[in-house]
Amino acid sequence: MLCAIPSVSWGQYDVEEKWPVWVRGLVDVRIARGGRASSWTDQGMGIGKSRYGGTGSLLGGERSTRLVVSQLSMELGATLPWGISARAQLNAETDIDVDRPLLIEAILRKEWGGVANGWGLQSGVMNNPFSLEHVGPAWTPQYTLTPSALNTWLWEEVYVVGLEGEWWRTTLSGLRFGLLGGAGFGPDQMARLLPPRGWVLSDYQSGVNSDLPLALRGNTDSVSVFDERDYRPALYTRLSVSDSRHRGELSLGYFDNLGDQDTFGVWSTRFGTVGAVLHPLANVDLLAQYLGGSAQSRAGNFDILFHAFYVLLSVHYHGHRLSARYDNFRTDDTDGPPSYRENGTAFTVAYLFEFGLSHRVAFEYMFLDSHRTMPVSFDPSDGGWQLSYRFRY
Amino acid sequence: MEPFVRLPTWRWQWVIIAVAAFMSCVSVTQAAEIKGKVVDEQGIGIPQAVVFVQTPASNGAKPTAPRTATLDQIDKQFVPNLLPIPVGTEVQFPNHDQIHHHVYSFSRAKSFDLPLYKGEEKPSVVFDQPGVVDVGCNIHDWMSAVILVVPSPYYATTDANGQFVLPDIPSGTYSLVSWHERNRGKIADTAQQVRVDGATSELTFTLSLKPAQERPATSGQRGSR
Repeated sequence: MLCAIPSVSWGQYDVEEKWPVWVRGLVDVRIARGGRASSWTDQGMGIGKSRYGGTGSLLGGERSTRLVVSQLSMELGATLPWGISARAQLNAETDIDVDRPLLIEAILRKEWGGVANGWGLQSGVMNNPFSLEHVGPAWTPQYTLTPSALNTWLWEEVYVVGLEGEWWRTTLSGLRFGLLGGAGFGPDQMARLLPPRGWVLSDYQSGVNSDLPLALRGNTDSVSVFDERDYRPALYTRLSVSDSRHRGELSLGYFDNLGDQDTFGVWSTRFGTVGAVLHPLANVDLLAQYLGGSAQSRAGNFDILFHAFYVLLSVHYHGHRLSARYDNFRTDDTDGPPSYRENGTAFTVAYLFEFGLSHRVAFEYMFLDSHRTMPVSFDPSDGGWQLSYRFRY
Repeated sequence: MEPFVRLPTWRWQWVIIAVAAFMSCVSVTQAAEIKGKVVDEQGIGIPQAVVFVQTPASNGAKPTAPRTATLDQIDKQFVPNLLPIPVGTEVQFPNHDQIHHHVYSFSRAKSFDLPLYKGEEKPSVVFDQPGVVDVGCNIHDWMSAVILVVPSPYYATTDANGQFVLPDIPSGTYSLVSWHERNRGKIADTAQQVRVDGATSELTFTLSLKPAQERPATSGQRGSR
């Protein structure tokens, strides 16, 4: 009977105030055991982040097991008038010798239309839109702890400060097309890391204000992620198409920094990428992505062609996820000596378990096999493992 | 003249009681509708407002049968974004997106969290307390929905013109209220008494709404995470 209905206080019908500003935080603490080679972040030749590298010398020392704060992020967002959203992310890097917060992202965004058809504009400090793995909270990799070599590099050096436009349309048959184009300043030394250092697999998130160490023996120089010299904007575009049932998405991307090599220190770097995300079964994610490009510089014999590919299989059930990834990466020297060649592979397997709203534990094992013919020909091949606990507010 | 049927005096008493009880039931089940409109201060109809019976009829009413409802996730949106349900309803939360959602609520009326993956079973939650349940996604911050748990089976959502119809309301006296997510005032201040006695009753609720302040969604490629 209605008179048996539980009593109610009017306060239970009050709606929570929706604040126009929001803040979220993420901390990831790990026990990590790396290989013997010192990391590139310590000017070494190892291909992991510094905490996963060995100790003792630039060339490498003994294996070590460390307790580290892998990521400390703060995300800020705001709803502004006229439907404009603002978003920013700051990282405090405790592992690499950085004494200032790293600005990972700071954008204003406005969209018109809806989910099926619409367009949008975005402006500010932003990473490139090509990574298929950096889709987790605070731009963390979704499927593993460490992203592929391909996407590691995309998140190291490919930043712009600029403007981007997007258009998306769904056809009557359900196909959804997306076209994105952008122009921005900053990446005039893009790919400078690759010839001397080669590819790495690292979850390090560069900020637009990052200075990345160059892995050259006896060289403590660094390369600035934002370094505009020729005042010519980089251009990039991405085209995507997905099926009506969202079983898969194919994407094509192209980036050209339009570097003017008549300007001192400017690199001319361009690359194309093609990627696919498939869901052959409801609980299965299959990713494959290829990137190929070229980098040229008149500052020395650094010209290279670079290629990277990975295929990732991930199976999930409730909060559990098991992923395996195969990486293949290489650089080919295209000018005179010294030779900056690399040919490497990596195999990564990860188990991640999310529980509650805020918690995740994960374990990852990575096996690396890389061969370089560089001025410092220390074999960077090595493996390692990580045990992670992540809390997100 | 002999009566058509001769009954003992004590049996007549039972017949009278039975007839009275039958007439009483007839009066309870003599349903009518309550219709009307929810408008703003300028008299313009307000869509997506909910009108519901807050207090029971003085003569009681039918019990509420257990019900089920669905709050889906499609294209990184909750569908519908307003779900009024009677107390005791079991709500299922399927996920028709290919991406992971993590549905949660910290509301007083119901607190829960559900990690949702495409293709897995539809988890459900029983809402056993009246009130507002603000629902969000822990991954896609712009996703939000409201489950309004009302204390009776008599409720309606206004259409695009702000109009509502509550059909099949048993006779009796009721207290009705109108709720909207952006109402500035207290819901108690909207209460109106209505006597249902077989004829259609008409009500008008006037609300003052706050400006819309939804968090903009991200639908493009940048929002694929």
